[in-house]
Amino acid sequence: MSKQPRVSANPVQTGNVVRDSALGLVTETVDPYLRFNYAIWHSGPLTAAEVELARLRNARKVNCVFCKAVRYDIAIEAGLDESKVEQITDDFDQSELSDREKLILSYTDYYLEQPTALTAEFKHQMNEEFSAAEIVHLSMAIMLCNCFSRCAVSLGGMPEHDLPRMQISVPE
Amino acid sequence: MTWFTEARTQQHIIEMAPTLASAYQAFYDSFWQLTSVPASVLELCRLRVAQLHHSDYQWQYQQVDVTIEQRESLSQWNKSPIFSATDKVCLAFTEVYCMDPQSITDGQADAVKSKLGDAGLVALIEALGMFYGMTRVSQLWEL
Repeated sequence: MSKQPRVSANPVQTGNVVRDSALGLVTETVDPYLRFNYAIWHSGPLTAAEVELARLRNARKVNCVFCKAVRYDIAIEAGLDESKVEQITDDFDQSELSDREKLILSYTDYYLEQPTALTAEFKHQMNEEFSAAEIVHLSMAIMLCNCFSRCAVSLGGMPEHDLPRMQISVPE
Repeated sequence: MTWFTEARTQQHIIEMAPTLASAYQAFYDSFWQLTSVPASVLELCRLRVAQLHHSDYQWQYQQVDVTIEQRESLSQWNKSPIFSATDKVCLAFTEVYCMDPQSITDGQADAVKSKLGDAGLVALIEALGMFYGMTRVSQLWEL
């Protein structure tokens, strides 16, 4: 993996963390991305804490150092504390997370590892726990988080070691 | 019909979450308006992502016209004269991206930049994330 960024940040600095990054170079997508991302965190049927569980599971599996360090304030306000975050490990099935939270992590793992391998039992459990709108929301959230964690990795310049935790707001 | 709704298409399933559907669609549509990456190149990359995932659903979908010859030769793009140099550097990048983005080399990224510029490389990476993601989502949904 390249230690050097493959693209420079946007030379036009606005004070917005997304617009000022390399993503700001793509003027056609940056505004639609910000609106979709904002909707994922603020407008879906799942809570921000539930979205954050999936985001952090993805971050750890993709090994995006930046994504792993970030905590969204809206998720913390919705109840996701560090004691829960610490349980997002490969042994989450043995953790004290709720059954609903474990299903969110399992669904994320299916997306990341074997999207064609959902078992009949797992699909039944998902249908018992989540509405169709919630399943769509979870799917879209995982897709978007995965898209941009892979983007961060692909653009190079990823630190080799974990970064300190950074609490931020969802960019607008 | 999938396992959690009677809706049969990706679009109709996404509309099950009406507070997200329009924002998703606007984001998806924005890729096809890019000035830095031709839509035909993106479509070839989208189809290659579908091939690599063995996703017949995404393979059958057509976002942008590409020739039948290009579809039929896509798995052997590196040996085919019908793909342009830009097509080929982007398809090479697509394949590594799908396997593991940590394996992308500076040479592969530079090759894309030489054809599409810095903005084009970023746009291609974003688009691949969307194609990769929606292919896997359609598989989760058993489309």
